[in-house]
Amino acid sequence: MLALTIANLKMMVRNRQTTFWALFFPLIMVAVFGLFDSNTFASSSVAALDLADNAASRQLVDSLDEAELVQLADPPASLEEGRRAVEKGDLDFLVAIPAGFGAGTVEGDGPSPAAELAAEVSMAPVTLVTGEEREERSQLIANVLRRSIDTITNGQPPEEGPDQVITERLEARSAPYFDVVLLGLVGMGIMSHAIISIAVHISNYRNLSILKRMLVTPLAIWKFFAAEVVAQLVLAVIQAAVILGVGVFVFRAELVGSVIHMLPIIILGSLVFLNIGFIISAWANTPAAASGMGNVVSLPMMFFAGTFFSTSALPWLLPYVADALPLAPMITALRDIGLRGASIWEVWQQLAWLGGWLVATSLIAVRVFRFS
Amino acid sequence: MSKAIRVEGLVKRYGDFAAVDNVSFDVSEGEVFGILGPNGAGKTTTLEIIEGLQPPTSGQVTVLGKDIRKQARHIKARIGVQLQSSAYFSFLTLREILNLLGSFYPKRLPPDELLGLVGLADRANSRVNQLSIGQSQRFTVAASLINDPELVILDEPTTGLDPQARHNLWDLISEMHARKVTVVLTTHYMEEAELLCQRLAIMDHGKVVAIDSPSDLISRIETTYTVKLQTDRPLSDGQSHALNEGGSLQQMDVDPQSQPAAGNSYVLRLDRNPESLNRALDGIVRSGISLKHLEIQPATLEDVFLELTGNELRD
Repeated sequence: MLALTIANLKMMVRNRQTTFWALFFPLIMVAVFGLFDSNTFASSSVAALDLADNAASRQLVDSLDEAELVQLADPPASLEEGRRAVEKGDLDFLVAIPAGFGAGTVEGDGPSPAAELAAEVSMAPVTLVTGEEREERSQLIANVLRRSIDTITNGQPPEEGPDQVITERLEARSAPYFDVVLLGLVGMGIMSHAIISIAVHISNYRNLSILKRMLVTPLAIWKFFAAEVVAQLVLAVIQAAVILGVGVFVFRAELVGSVIHMLPIIILGSLVFLNIGFIISAWANTPAAASGMGNVVSLPMMFFAGTFFSTSALPWLLPYVADALPLAPMITALRDIGLRGASIWEVWQQLAWLGGWLVATSLIAVRVFRFS
Repeated sequence: MSKAIRVEGLVKRYGDFAAVDNVSFDVSEGEVFGILGPNGAGKTTTLEIIEGLQPPTSGQVTVLGKDIRKQARHIKARIGVQLQSSAYFSFLTLREILNLLGSFYPKRLPPDELLGLVGLADRANSRVNQLSIGQSQRFTVAASLINDPELVILDEPTTGLDPQARHNLWDLISEMHARKVTVVLTTHYMEEAELLCQRLAIMDHGKVVAIDSPSDLISRIETTYTVKLQTDRPLSDGQSHALNEGGSLQQMDVDPQSQPAAGNSYVLRLDRNPESLNRALDGIVRSGISLKHLEIQPATLEDVFLELTGNELRD
């Protein structure tokens, strides 16, 4: 079996075209996102925690939601939890509306000469909790917030008096968009190469009767497939190393997590995608068909599993579908480890999902596989 | 002599269709055994069952004294197989492929020795896609010998080869025979079967219709001579009748191989009668047929095949 694995690796090295593309395609994407200031693509996540829960505070939340730059996420359960979310980088901004907010406003009052009222409102300033390092971006959000508060206080911009917005800066592990995409690209590169190359490979072997030729030798046929899988896993690890290496050393991505903890995710994910490749090879009659079917599976998965953008913005049930795809837990786990320093034990949910996919795809692959 | 292969009552069904229908034969150790038959006769299926690629529906197959159902792996280690149209890894050299295949067997021959045997010693570092058709066919035969097998099974080893390459392969098979290796082969070519095989099985519609040595098969049939004649105009009914005087004409066809422009070609097959050749020639003379060409051949395996299966062998 060692001889087979070595032979497989030799073939991969010699089959420069395929192997080159396995590395090159994700690297092009890395370069695209690295060379442009990709952070401008990213939208900020904002959540509002309404501790006042009165007419004025509700009005503030509504007007924030309507503001063009802001899309409100679900509010955290408590201020503490919100702070933690900001620290972990799950949330860019937390708008904390204190219990005393709007205490001076009278419910149902009409337009009033509101100078005093405005002063009263400002007694309980709103806190903007953020880990955003770029000043202009937090200024932007703070200004949106100020304008919204002004609307509540009858559109009278308070020219004097204390600021109604206090900015609270936290040390957040919020990663730049490039770093987020980089880990997505690791998952994507491994996924598309594993699916397409194994599907093409095996259907090619079947067309050339190589599988049959192996069956007439005393070799236990599982060893043939095991060697194929081992060689693909070696390539997947090299792929991940090259993509991460270029991202970190050329484009200055910052990874805080341990690469060793990413390894099991990469291997588990690769196994799932290799299984999918085996299943496709059973359905496809020619290598060209296998390649096409592999693309049909891998391209939508690449977009829907959150390689480039968060899938929570998708309509209807699609976010759930997207999260169920095998690439989604793989990328999520890689990001948790790489960007937030999580250990492999903390991403057990994603591991469990991938494990489930592995079992399911293995069962299907064994059922549908054919030798000739 | 002990038997290298023993097949008894072998049946292989796909649904209602019997690809192999109650086939029995033996192959003795050290003999070259041929299986002849038109496409779809069940030759390849029979071989695949012997090779352990497919399970039989029923029947008993013993290879080198072992039951194929129970000791397939043991058998596979001792036999060499060349599959119909099997190719090899595109990105490995010939030597690397042979080394890889050899690593699957307990016993193996040095790759360079095998390549020398098939005249490919200078191509050891080439890849399969750099070989000519004849060379790659010889390579697949070399690959089937990697484990120094006691029995070699070759499925149409010379199909698609030019005459030169075919002769090279014949030499190789004779060489194996000289080394006391048992060889089983299927073929479309009569002259090949006649030249190489000690015994032949003729298969048709999943059944064995005859088994014997080539010369015994030929002496068994009704036809003795085949007369091919070409005339300058089509034969009249009277002339046809004159040719058949005495009832010695078994069959008369327009030669399927003739070009329409070549005139009018006929093939006469004469039955087993000392007088039949004389009578046919007499008929030609008396009926005033003007001949452009006349050819008289003793019966060949081709005639055996035609008589047994009603088919031309070549596809």
